[in-house]
Amino acid sequence: MNNHELKTRREFLRTGLLGGSLCWTLPAFLSRTMESLHAQADGALIQGVTGRDGNILVVLQLAGGNDGLNTVIPIGNDEYRKARPTLGLTDSSILRIDPQTGLHPSLSGLASAYQDGHLAIVQGVGYPNPNRSHFRSTEIWATAVDSDQSSTTGWIGRYFDNACSGCDASVGIAMASQLPQSFAASTPKGVLYQGSGGAKKKTSKKKGAAARDSDSSMMAMNDEQEGGEAGGSIGMLDGPGNLGHLSALDFLERTEMDAKVSQQEIAKASAKAKNSVPYPGSRLGQNFATVSRLIAGGMPTRIYYLSLGGFDTHTQQAGAHERLLKEMGDAVAAFLADLKAQGNLGRVSLMTFSEFGRRVKENASGGTDHGAAAPLFLAGGGVKAGLLGQMPSLAPKDLFDGDVKYNTDFRSVYATILEKHLGVKSEPILKKPFPLIHAYG
Amino acid sequence: MMATLNASDWDRNKAGILLQRAGFGGTPQEIDALAALSPARAVDSLLGPTKFPPPDPPAFLEESGTEEALKTERAKMNSLPDPAKADARREIAQYHRATQGRQMTELRGWWLKQMAEPARATREKLTLFFHGHFATSFEKVRSPHLLYQQNSLFREKGYGMWSDLVLGVAKDPAMLIYLDGAKSRAEAPNENFARELFELFTLGEGNYTEKDIQESARAFTGWGIGATNGKKAGLQRGAQPSFKNVPKWHDSGAKRIFGKTGNFDGTDVVRLALAQDAAPRWIVQKLWKFYAGWSAPEPLLHELVKEWQSLKGEIRPFLMAMWTNPNFYDPVRAADRVKSPTEWLVGLCRQIGRPLPAPALSANILTQLGQNLFEPPNVKGWDGGIAWINTASISRRYEYGSWLVEGTQGLQKLSSLNMAKMAGESGLLKTSLPEISPEGMVISHGAKDLDPVEKQAALDKMKAAVALSPAPVARIATLEERQSSEKLLAVLSSRFLSGETIPVDLRTRFQQAAGEKVPFTDSAVRKMILAIVQSPLYQVT
Repeated sequence: MNNHELKTRREFLRTGLLGGSLCWTLPAFLSRTMESLHAQADGALIQGVTGRDGNILVVLQLAGGNDGLNTVIPIGNDEYRKARPTLGLTDSSILRIDPQTGLHPSLSGLASAYQDGHLAIVQGVGYPNPNRSHFRSTEIWATAVDSDQSSTTGWIGRYFDNACSGCDASVGIAMASQLPQSFAASTPKGVLYQGSGGAKKKTSKKKGAAARDSDSSMMAMNDEQEGGEAGGSIGMLDGPGNLGHLSALDFLERTEMDAKVSQQEIAKASAKAKNSVPYPGSRLGQNFATVSRLIAGGMPTRIYYLSLGGFDTHTQQAGAHERLLKEMGDAVAAFLADLKAQGNLGRVSLMTFSEFGRRVKENASGGTDHGAAAPLFLAGGGVKAGLLGQMPSLAPKDLFDGDVKYNTDFRSVYATILEKHLGVKSEPILKKPFPLIHAYG
Repeated sequence: MMATLNASDWDRNKAGILLQRAGFGGTPQEIDALAALSPARAVDSLLGPTKFPPPDPPAFLEESGTEEALKTERAKMNSLPDPAKADARREIAQYHRATQGRQMTELRGWWLKQMAEPARATREKLTLFFHGHFATSFEKVRSPHLLYQQNSLFREKGYGMWSDLVLGVAKDPAMLIYLDGAKSRAEAPNENFARELFELFTLGEGNYTEKDIQESARAFTGWGIGATNGKKAGLQRGAQPSFKNVPKWHDSGAKRIFGKTGNFDGTDVVRLALAQDAAPRWIVQKLWKFYAGWSAPEPLLHELVKEWQSLKGEIRPFLMAMWTNPNFYDPVRAADRVKSPTEWLVGLCRQIGRPLPAPALSANILTQLGQNLFEPPNVKGWDGGIAWINTASISRRYEYGSWLVEGTQGLQKLSSLNMAKMAGESGLLKTSLPEISPEGMVISHGAKDLDPVEKQAALDKMKAAVALSPAPVARIATLEERQSSEKLLAVLSSRFLSGETIPVDLRTRFQQAAGEKVPFTDSAVRKMILAIVQSPLYQVT
């Protein structure tokens, strides 16, 4: 193996190491792939974005619908108190960002990133005619089209198609069990990497909602056991399901090839680098640690995709939400510190998102139902710290069906990242122009 | 009346496709037997009788010791002083968790065993479809008993009327927990179940309004779960909650749902939803896609929906109609259906004639391949199709394929297989072990200072847990069939690829795998089998 380490798919094709050095037998589909690559190479600037020092975007999906109102919280707001009699956080516990706004107490990691000047908080992010289905709304965020339109490709996939058509599949890496829908592209790109954690979800050691539930019918069953996470029904990522022009068999052949090439690349990059700060032991923390090593190890990857599930907090939200935010905040803080120590912080932006926020008014089961607009976080060396957009009004007259109204289209955030951070034109990717937000210096 | 296959169009290739898609594949003998019947008889015989004795339940259902032990321990706990009480509570919780983990493993193994039974395969495949359609996860339900109960519901009602099944699911305790129906009350209706009932189970997005959801959530209030009254006193099963209709939880006011107004309850909502035009299209398309691998385009879908309506939503005859429809075997779409991990594992074991791996190992293989039974990723179930395939899962299919075909004769080859980790996590090893890679590298935190003797012992135990002999292939090919690589490939492709056409380059790859020395030894036969299993072609059907 040492004589023939394969760096890229192109090199793999050039060197023509068929079979010999690979763990599997001769690829039967090589000629077809060769043809398509030649076709692409003819017209495209292959190295355009694949350098080892290009900018990187890390997307963190908070699956299930994060309660934005208890993440970025209005201080001294009567409407908030009224709507959240039990779930509302007290002003004294909130981590203040400015006199009117603060973060959930378990987000100390993000609060210090804000103090360090590396975190922007974009408030009131959403889209017109919001959809309250997890799947549909996730799809809208992934495809970045109007809520009454559909698309077979995702916004990240279209970025690959536009800016990296000759890149290796590992231009996008998802730490997940399925490729995210936003990766769906005309020419499939993106690989999965599960690190040493594997696909098996760690059954959490935390006490879940049901265990604390006072509902007798549930208690009768398991009064000692750990209950399911609130929102266990919405956990993992949603899949791509888009084949474009390929048959399933073509897709399999491609994937087989990508697997052979990129897994070697990844293993090599990951082994080369070390984390310079300790990470939390959570799955998310460990995934961030892996991403950091891949970045330090020189992977030519432009997009990393991670996710944290369990935000569908219909019942007994308080404890579950606190733990989730802590898991996120601590992992992100370690990641940012590690990147800084590596000298890579300036190249990396991290964006969080969730398919929707939650209903302003808490429900009678100590939880919140599906909502609409919510804040998101942008972090990184190039990010200009600050509060962007407006905290949406919580006055009942300003709500739509009980939900806050958006004031920043999520595609403005995408457009800003594409233009200011990844250095590409956003219109061909988002299919329309969107006003940029002032998230970069 | 829908188009049906003529007897003259029926051949071994189609019989092979049917056996794989309707169930979990089988042996060449089973394919031959189906090919010898008429298409309608073949399908009918695969489906089996409408009434069929259910399999014996998994043994844990009759366990009596664990509940008793828990009760005693809890009683003891209560008399302890405070600090000791907390410790005891933790221990009891740990015991409970371990018990459930063991029972879930047993349940998964039990179900896989049913799938591998030829006479049950078709029914179990349908049960698997419903498990994905009405996705419900242990992660939230936390009760192996209730998940078994739901699984039995799919098996029992799967061949019957769609409306009966939907109603059964709406009252199913596991579902009531999973989508919060059990907690929904008149004063605080929970929308979770009503939303997914429309969006995922019966209609599809865009075919209902938010108002329909809110009003339906009110109608479903009152349906909850409660303790059964000593049906099987003393046994754990008796302690399981069952469906309970509680009038005082019900919102008895008028509701307006799909344009109709009345004092509706859950039964009414199911009836109203299934009467929508979108309803038959939704389930028909999902069934077609699950079994055929691709979405039915408009003219075909229309035809299928008409058939469904004329059958009034009775599932067994609809499956018959679907599987005798010529489009089901469309050669152009032959490579468009990806085997699910469960189908892949059960099918491969049947084809190579070896029993399924131990339940803990099988369950872990499926988890690694993306289909942890009873823990679908979310309420939408598994996306299926090409979503099964990604760079990680395809490598694992190849690696597990190698393990199942060649065994663990060279465990060093399995370095990326995670077998050791699997064995550790699966609870197959009685002791708790540090995570060690097959090369002897300690992976897990906190185990770095393990002494070499302990480390070797741990490694040996892991190796023993995953030890597997090579697949028994002596009877797969006769001496005559081992005389040339063409003959051997013919025999193996008839078994593993139902005789599908193999592209020339792939033929070469398969034939070269066996080497040149004839007659081929068992080891050479296994090498060719492995080349087939480790090919994109084997992943589709």
